[in-house]
Amino acid sequence: MHGWHGQALHVNLKTQQTRSEQVSPELLQSYLGGRGLGDRLMRETFTLDPFDADMPLIFAVGPLCGTDLPATDQLAIVSRSPLTGTIFSNSTGSRFATRLKQAGYDMLIITGKSDKPVTLQITPDSTVIEEATALWGTTTTETLSTLAAKGSSAVIGPAGEAQVLFASIQFHDGGTAARGGLGAVMGSKRLKAISVDGDIETAVAEPQRLANARDDILRLFNASPALFGELGFKEFGTAALVDLIARRRMAPTANFRETFFPGSFNYSGPALQKEYAPLKNGCHNCPIGCRVTASDGQPLPEYDTISQFGGLLNNDDLPTIIAANNTCTALGLDPVSAAASIATWSELRGSFPEPEDIVPLLHDIAARNGDGEQIAHGARRLAEDSGRPEVAMTVKSLELPACDPRGAYGIALSYCTSTRGGCHQQAGVFAPEILRKPVATDRFSFAGKAKLVKIGENNNAVIESLVACRFAFFGASLEEYGEALAAATGIGHTLSELQQIGERIFLTERCYNQQNGFDRNDDTLPERFFTEAGSHGEEFDIPPLDRVRFYEERDRYYRLRGLDQFGQLNTTEFLGKQP
Amino acid sequence: MIRQVEKYLDKMQRDRIGKPGGMALVASDDTVIGQGNDALQSLGSSLLERLDLTAVALVEPTFPFTDYLVVATPTAETRITPRDTETRTFLHDIPILRSSQLSGEPADRIAELLGQRKGVLVEGVGIIAAGSITVEQAYINASSLFHSLLVMYLLDLLTRTNIPEQELQQLDDFRRNWLKPLVSPETLLPGKDLNDPTTILQEMSRVGRITVELGLVDSFFGNISCRFDNTLYISQTAASLDELEGCIDPVPFDNSSTCGITASSELLAHRLIYEQTGARTLLHGHPRFAVIMSMLCDTPDCPIDDCWRDCPHTRLLGNAPVVAGEVGAGGLARRVAPIIGDSGKAVVYGHGIFAIGRDGFDDALNAMIETEEWCRREYFRRLDMKISNR
Repeated sequence: MHGWHGQALHVNLKTQQTRSEQVSPELLQSYLGGRGLGDRLMRETFTLDPFDADMPLIFAVGPLCGTDLPATDQLAIVSRSPLTGTIFSNSTGSRFATRLKQAGYDMLIITGKSDKPVTLQITPDSTVIEEATALWGTTTTETLSTLAAKGSSAVIGPAGEAQVLFASIQFHDGGTAARGGLGAVMGSKRLKAISVDGDIETAVAEPQRLANARDDILRLFNASPALFGELGFKEFGTAALVDLIARRRMAPTANFRETFFPGSFNYSGPALQKEYAPLKNGCHNCPIGCRVTASDGQPLPEYDTISQFGGLLNNDDLPTIIAANNTCTALGLDPVSAAASIATWSELRGSFPEPEDIVPLLHDIAARNGDGEQIAHGARRLAEDSGRPEVAMTVKSLELPACDPRGAYGIALSYCTSTRGGCHQQAGVFAPEILRKPVATDRFSFAGKAKLVKIGENNNAVIESLVACRFAFFGASLEEYGEALAAATGIGHTLSELQQIGERIFLTERCYNQQNGFDRNDDTLPERFFTEAGSHGEEFDIPPLDRVRFYEERDRYYRLRGLDQFGQLNTTEFLGKQP
Repeated sequence: MIRQVEKYLDKMQRDRIGKPGGMALVASDDTVIGQGNDALQSLGSSLLERLDLTAVALVEPTFPFTDYLVVATPTAETRITPRDTETRTFLHDIPILRSSQLSGEPADRIAELLGQRKGVLVEGVGIIAAGSITVEQAYINASSLFHSLLVMYLLDLLTRTNIPEQELQQLDDFRRNWLKPLVSPETLLPGKDLNDPTTILQEMSRVGRITVELGLVDSFFGNISCRFDNTLYISQTAASLDELEGCIDPVPFDNSSTCGITASSELLAHRLIYEQTGARTLLHGHPRFAVIMSMLCDTPDCPIDDCWRDCPHTRLLGNAPVVAGEVGAGGLARRVAPIIGDSGKAVVYGHGIFAIGRDGFDDALNAMIETEEWCRREYFRRLDMKISNR
């Protein structure tokens, strides 16, 4: 087999049984890998409680992983989110992905709950479950240091152990499955860490064709200002976005009460460069290198983290932002949800924390101490429990990232249609609305946005199943990665077929969510965005969203998706037809 | 969406990339909207039923050079690969479909090919281009294909052993009636002094529009900038040169802000040129005869395979130096900056012209026009010589 190995490793932590099982070629070709394959394997379990022993936690790579194609050292982690209750997939870049593939597997499916804390060690020759009581309670940094000789590792921190609803999974090389609380799912299984290693190569069907696709992709990276431009990610990391989002008046400030934070220049890309002389870093085999580390080796935060611990909390103190990022990493917390939940807590109590109070608060959240106990449940539950649900800036309980929806209407719509909650990444409309790639769209218009979101969602479902980095698509497109897929696997998919795969994956997720009780009422934004204006720019205003036009476009989206007026589809019929 | 369809069909008509009445633009939201030629609209609608695209542009070229290209392509070949930078970077290659392959339901076969690339060439129909997420994208891709295919055709003419009489007549008509003179009344108007940001933005918009009207860029590709104090004002990536209002980024020379992350992919080239020449303005476009002539290299037995990337030599087109170098971070910037200062202009292999102005945009625009005029004259001199020697 080319591209894939066609093998899944099943591990039951309760029975301590492990088995390798073939994945059928039909499923591989119909779902590709990563998010799609993970979704498919949730078919029998998606209604379970996220902390149910039988709830799977899935690590899945794709057919391009293990090749030398840029930005494919990626995997998806799939389960049901304890924060949102939705099916949830996190895609991230880590050498862990390639090592898992080199161990001989396309996916790892973990079920059961161990009686004691354990680690899991996977090589081509063995799968070992080992007691890890001594590691329980240690930070991710400490755990990763202990496991350094065991290949690539994915670990949880104290937040995951305590089942904080937005706990993350941290990888040894800076990757993170941050969103949706999948670290809490791992913690509920008392699985502290997974280490993988191996040397099995990924067979490529047509090496020269893959090399040609690689050249095409690299030329497009060269031509992309956001990626390889002198003001882009390669130079400044994603912190390059701080200035742009400020200029667009889309920087969430003071829990989205405003959209411009004058102090943001303190933590912009150039400010980081000046203060920390960062070194370029990134995923294995990726020429973009969007992760930056300070000259002393400490990782520097990416855009969303900077902005969330910056303007969202009314904080312009860069050292505090760096410390908050490091603390989230060490404790295993999603920085976006952590900061957003603190912002909600701040608005509820009427004041934002002083910079020196932020890191202690993060420790309280991870340990579920004091105010941290309430915040650990996420912004939506916190606000509802306080009798002021309108203060939570969430969609389907997922805290919004650092991109105000009043400044880009496609992003606004995509927050509502995303199957994982308040996330614009699934639709990928940030690229055309903000970065002008592959073409620019009018960010202040709803015209065409339903179609834009639908196409983007389908394309990104494919991208996260290949699995390739979303950032690569600020330069290249499915045209080039589809060619690479054909070269790697020897199986050509037309664009139309890839789009059908993307739609299959996305609607499968929508079916799961629908059967778990989600409906049209969940496809909306917090009231604030329809009633309060954002901060005006030099030559433009940021008015509240036009509610009528917003819902018109959402209805159009439903029609384009083949859903009824309530956003529903016949789930039994749909799922019954899928491979 | 209907306004977008009308706007870009109008642009296609003004660009004259297709016959009058021989173009259509069809877009799909939750309904399908089309404008232009009825038969082409019908084909476009069929394609949108098969592909999840936002729009399709269909163009029957003004004279049938695309069909001549198909005929000249060996029957075993399913794609053609023009050698210009547009193709190399963005289009990769262009699938072709012969009229003999159009039996049955042609939309099925066209859709299959259109799903693989940004556009296809269909014998007897013309150019069909996809807009995956916007209507404008279909227009851009149609325009890019037109540019690349025309450059390929004109380049191939210089090596063809036989040009039939009918084709020669069509070529003569193209030369005399389709190609525009490179000077317009507005070109001759002196520009304003570039002493404040407001005037700079106005001048950039004016010159950008003239550049498009003169046909010095295909669709909108190209970029323009002006240096003022410590700021470089530059058109944004994917900005239409004839619609620059609101699409110009101020980029500090000291990189103290990253707002310019949306600036043109050639920002580095602009910056280095300013640093090494002291110019005030810079204009970059892809005029087709400069692109063609830049690829005519007479070096015998040259060992270089990848001329776009690896050629270290500097040749001359008139007094304009020609260098190699790929787009963006691909090396173009470091090769153009050192050689543009003397003549105020430089041509990049297969790509286009960079031209600088010492005080305003007039001399940059004139330098670009001069270079393209020289290349056009030289091209037709060679072609005429070839024809007369038949």
